[in-house]
Amino acid sequence: MSVQRFVVIGNGPAANRAADSLREKAPESKITILSKDPFRSYRPHLLPDFIAGALKEEDLYFRPHAYYKERDIILRLGQSVVNIDFSKRNAILEHKELVPFDGLIVATGGKPRIPEQFRLFEELMLTLKTPTDAKLWIEKLASTEAVLIVGGDLTSLSLTKALLKLGKHVRFILNEDAFWPRPLNDEVYRAVTERLEQRGVEVIHCRRIKRMTRLQENLLEMETDSQTIEAGVLGAFFGLVPDVRFLVKTGLDIDHGVLVNEFLKTRFTDVYAAGDCAQVYHPGLRDYWVSIGYENAAALGRIAALNLLGSRLEVRVEPESILEVGGVKVNTSWWTEF
Amino acid sequence: MPEVDFTVEVCGMAGDGTIAAGGLINEAMSLGGFSVLGFDSYPAEIRGFGRCVTNSRIGSNEIVALGEHAHALISLNDEQSRSRAPFLSEHSLVFFDSNPPTYVQEEKSLLSVAPPGVIIFGIPFSDLAVSAAGSSRGRNLTALGGFAAVTGIEPDFFREVIKNKFKSKGDRVVDINLKSFDAGYEYAMGKFADRLLQLFPKSEDRAGHDKVVLSGNQAIGMAAIDAGLKLYFGYPITPATPIMEYLAKYLPEHGGRVVQMEDEISSIGAVIGSFYAGVRAMTATSGPGFALMTELITHGVMAEIPAVIIDAQRAGPSTGLPTKTEQSDLQAAVFGGPGDSARIVIAPTNVEECYYFTLKSFQLAEKYQTPVIVLTDFFLDNRVENRPLPKTTGEQVACWNIFPGESSKGRYQRYDDTPSGISPRSFPGMEGFNFTATGLEHTEKGTPDYSPENHSKMTEKRHRKIRSALNDLEKPVEFFPNDQLDVGVIGWGSTFGSVLEAVEKSRKNGFKVGALKITSIFPYHSEIIKAFMAKSKFVLIPELNYEGQLANLIAHLDLKPVERLNFVTGAPIPPSAIQNRVEELLEVRAQ
Amino acid sequence: MKIPARVLADQLKQIKDSGRFSPRSGALPTWCPGCGYFGIHQGLNECIASLGLPLHEIVTVSGIGCAGRYPFFTNNYGLHTVHGRTLPAATGVKLANPKLTVFAVGGDGDGLAIGGGHLPHIARRNIDVNYLLFDNSIYGLTKGQPSPTSPIGSKTKASPYGTTDRPLNATLMALTYGASFVARLFAGDPKGITEALLEGVRNPGFSIFHIHTSCVTFDKAFKTWTNLKKWTHPLPEDYDPTDIRRAFDEVLRDDFSLGVIYKREY
Ligand SMILES: Cc1cc2nc3c(=O)[nH]c(=O)nc-3n(C[C@H](O)[C@H](O)[C@H](O)COP(=O)(O)OP(=O)(O)OC[C@H]3O[C@@H](n4cnc5c(N)ncnc54)[C@H](O)[C@@H]3O)c2cc1C
Ligand SMILES: Cc1ncc(C[n+]2csc(CCOP(=O)(O)OP(=O)(O)O)c2C)c(N)n1
Ligand code: SF4
Ligand SMILES: [Mg+2]
Repeated sequence: MSVQRFVVIGNGPAANRAADSLREKAPESKITILSKDPFRSYRPHLLPDFIAGALKEEDLYFRPHAYYKERDIILRLGQSVVNIDFSKRNAILEHKELVPFDGLIVATGGKPRIPEQFRLFEELMLTLKTPTDAKLWIEKLASTEAVLIVGGDLTSLSLTKALLKLGKHVRFILNEDAFWPRPLNDEVYRAVTERLEQRGVEVIHCRRIKRMTRLQENLLEMETDSQTIEAGVLGAFFGLVPDVRFLVKTGLDIDHGVLVNEFLKTRFTDVYAAGDCAQVYHPGLRDYWVSIGYENAAALGRIAALNLLGSRLEVRVEPESILEVGGVKVNTSWWTEF
Repeated sequence: MPEVDFTVEVCGMAGDGTIAAGGLINEAMSLGGFSVLGFDSYPAEIRGFGRCVTNSRIGSNEIVALGEHAHALISLNDEQSRSRAPFLSEHSLVFFDSNPPTYVQEEKSLLSVAPPGVIIFGIPFSDLAVSAAGSSRGRNLTALGGFAAVTGIEPDFFREVIKNKFKSKGDRVVDINLKSFDAGYEYAMGKFADRLLQLFPKSEDRAGHDKVVLSGNQAIGMAAIDAGLKLYFGYPITPATPIMEYLAKYLPEHGGRVVQMEDEISSIGAVIGSFYAGVRAMTATSGPGFALMTELITHGVMAEIPAVIIDAQRAGPSTGLPTKTEQSDLQAAVFGGPGDSARIVIAPTNVEECYYFTLKSFQLAEKYQTPVIVLTDFFLDNRVENRPLPKTTGEQVACWNIFPGESSKGRYQRYDDTPSGISPRSFPGMEGFNFTATGLEHTEKGTPDYSPENHSKMTEKRHRKIRSALNDLEKPVEFFPNDQLDVGVIGWGSTFGSVLEAVEKSRKNGFKVGALKITSIFPYHSEIIKAFMAKSKFVLIPELNYEGQLANLIAHLDLKPVERLNFVTGAPIPPSAIQNRVEELLEVRAQ
Repeated sequence: MKIPARVLADQLKQIKDSGRFSPRSGALPTWCPGCGYFGIHQGLNECIASLGLPLHEIVTVSGIGCAGRYPFFTNNYGLHTVHGRTLPAATGVKLANPKLTVFAVGGDGDGLAIGGGHLPHIARRNIDVNYLLFDNSIYGLTKGQPSPTSPIGSKTKASPYGTTDRPLNATLMALTYGASFVARLFAGDPKGITEALLEGVRNPGFSIFHIHTSCVTFDKAFKTWTNLKKWTHPLPEDYDPTDIRRAFDEVLRDDFSLGVIYKREY
């Protein structure tokens, strides 16, 4: 038999754990990691510390290139998959290259969510997912004292810590769209507001954001139903949503993420999905749930790889640990108290 | 100003404009005030399928050797460029066409083999060129535009050299190419705004404007014309052909003529004929052709007729590797041919020397009445360097013929045995000095004579003459002179640049190392070489040949064995290989 | 014993189908796309296949040039010598083992310039070598310098102001040198090449096949496909190749009539 060609799309924890498991169990196979990001694997939770200046950029990254070389895993950075041809079994890259596969694991993770009502202002808002985003934050923060944060997901809370450390003036708007994936009930709202205010964050209460405009290079103005606020930088934090847009036309079943069964298999033979991009079937709930979090992603990556190689491992999650947020069922391995 | 030492490669298929793009980089960077050394490699021979690669090393200090690793690769054909992936340095920049006309299979893609640390810049070369200039022909310039933008090269340098290069083809062609360049430049400035680098600090130094980018072969052609060459005879052979082509174009304006002969035997024959008649002539060839010439070269030795022969070495034996470089004709040049046939052999080490040594070869040939062989090689012939435009003095082009005095009329002996061995020489047309030149052993008068006394005497006379040429031959030059050396590295020909760079780096690492450049291969200055060897604990001779041909020639000058470093890879010796060997020698000794 | 033509044809077909004697090597010729040499390759391959000879008893000898690459693209024995020495080497091969069928192939530079001195002598000795002269009137391998058959005024990089030397006529030379079989052919007509070869191989002496061909990469002016197609045409209907005077007349009159120009009757 000729060498098995495995392709893993993504370079986050799910993808890396998947590639490692493939290599461990299928030593002869050809394994390729395709990643949109031009940089090495990084630890996203360190990004706020990096912004705070507590870390050097180099500290964000782990796994030197040599790691992959030693394991004979082909690492291709900065190269986006834009389509997948399941009939010819090729991943199609942005620069019109066809990468054939016998087995495929989709691990494209999530991307910052921008709720419908904010899409118009997307240009003006900073998000935080990658080191590149973090560098943009650092650049913008250099020339401003006032930061306004809209949303309020987990990331925003750790970023706020960093901003306060930098002595920035932080204002926060929590609205119903915020604080994903936790449901924002009154209790949570009150608790978080209290915490934030204790730390010196100004929490602004409002129902609706009417308008956002850029007054100057580093001066934005926002008009809400209650007041007009000026800020140098505006951050949007509404959680992560699966980054699967490009897969819609491939024939994979897509809801919020890539729909997979409890074995992480998609509708195509030898094609699996894992990590933040997957929506996993729960036989007990008879519904799909989305995974969030670093450890979750890695664990799913491993299961996808082993199943691709012939195992039949089922993803087990207690129904109680699955939350429902805005109609989406979520399980997260990541919930740090602020 | 931070030190710049940057190597960029352009790779494509024949027809992609690869060589043109590489050439423009060399010209533009020269204009920008940098030192440039460029070298193209391509399968030469049949053009249809070939891969072309240009390598340009750009420095703020003088560049003497080829770049070992590329810091940037501009790919005009990804399938071909795959072969360059192993030469990319860790964080090199890769420029490629992000929207090829058709889908590309993984096994033909460049990015599937590029190491993960490279930074990729996808630019739709063809699309941009088409929309800017109506044709994808300028996509190589679009690529240069992207390269200039990302690396921070002043775009005007490129614009100027593009205008120069295409002006002979008319304004329209200039315009198309400028537009194609600008399209790539603007695209990259926008698309990669967050990733622009400033690798080439602007220099106030306008020295670049007085420099010309020349190949070794061009320098030889120019020198031949400046020397007053009247006749060139040759037969096409890589890598010497460009000399013939250069002269075919420019020699007629200077009253000379290029005759393409039916082979190398007839070529050297005609050169000897014209020098016999008193006219400067030249031929250029490579190993296989040189081998054919040897009989007639020894005829020149015996009959004491001048000749200038450029042997542009390539890898051998036989047809060998026609487009690969090697220094393996040294023994053939010095010893090749029947009989005790000592002749003069000189070897330039860089483009500038290609020029000056070619000039000198005519004078040496005339004065010492013997064939002079100028040994170059593929790497030296085809590499380009930017140098101040060579200027010659009257002295450098003066005729060195020594004519018989009027008083000797009637008693004229063509092969007069003088103390120096040089006999005054007459040409046909000079009344009263008639003689017959012959390849048979002859007396001082030129009469055939096979007697033991005569052959002994005349053989000794001819060798004495060659020895006396040492007075006019370039002496070895010592770099980083010192009374005592741990390692003395001796280099010749195109390899000397690598020697120099290696020695410089080893010295920075604290080693007591020196270099000796030998350009007079035969006869050689044995006393100087001997002294250098004696004061060096180790003598190392790196050469691009298997047998150690220079080492074989001079090793006997010292009692200790010389260390050799021989490469027959077809490529120049990387400086790091020499440096490693030097440091290895010293470490072994230290143990 | 006389074998009926039909049986022979059947046998030939079997031999061909078996692929056992397939003369084409696995290596794809490295000639430029569109080069005339592909046609010659096809013509000679067909001839070899039709002869049905075991490939190990066939030798292709060449010198240096694009044409000289030929032996690498065949499956029989090959000898790639140095530039211009094709015919001396072929002579040696044939004399050493007369059982071999020897094809010598080479360019116009190889055969008429550097190796030009050898042509009269192999013809004079009438060595049973079949010499295919690939005449593209240019030096292909060294990238387009004029060759001994380039017309006066040829402009190349080595002759930017045009050549002044008269071209040689290889067919005429071969007749003059007394070659015992002389054919003039065109690379655009592989069938014609095969036919002439099949006839020439049977000549027990030196046979020369002077083949007009096109170097698409370096010759945009003279022997282009368009020109060659326009210029070439068959020999006159009543032509008699055994008549040497007629042959001289024909060759002096016409550079591009194709077919067997001369064959000696023994
Ligand atoms: C700022 C921040 C802080 C966080 N802190 C924590 C924490 O403290 N604890 C915790 O458990 N979790 C944390 N998370 C969440 C955690 O990082 C993610 O859940 C986890 O990284 C998901 O892993 P993944 O492998 O599924 O995808 P990701 O890590 O998102 O990786 C996705 C990969 O897919 C690639 N990709 C996407 N699309 C394509 C495409 N079309 N073609 C090719 N490649 C593509 C991307 O380049 C990327 O390499 C944090 C996230 C952020 C942004
Ligand atoms: C002694 C010697 N001189 C020169 C060369 C360089 N050389 C190689 S092929 C060639 C001429 C090619 O022309 P031709 O014989 O017409 O063959 P073509 O390439 O056209 O098929 C020359 C000059 C060589 N290989 N050896
Ligand atoms: S260069 Fe000319 S002769 Fe040589 S292969 Fe190409 S087309 Fe044919
Ligand atoms: Mg030819």
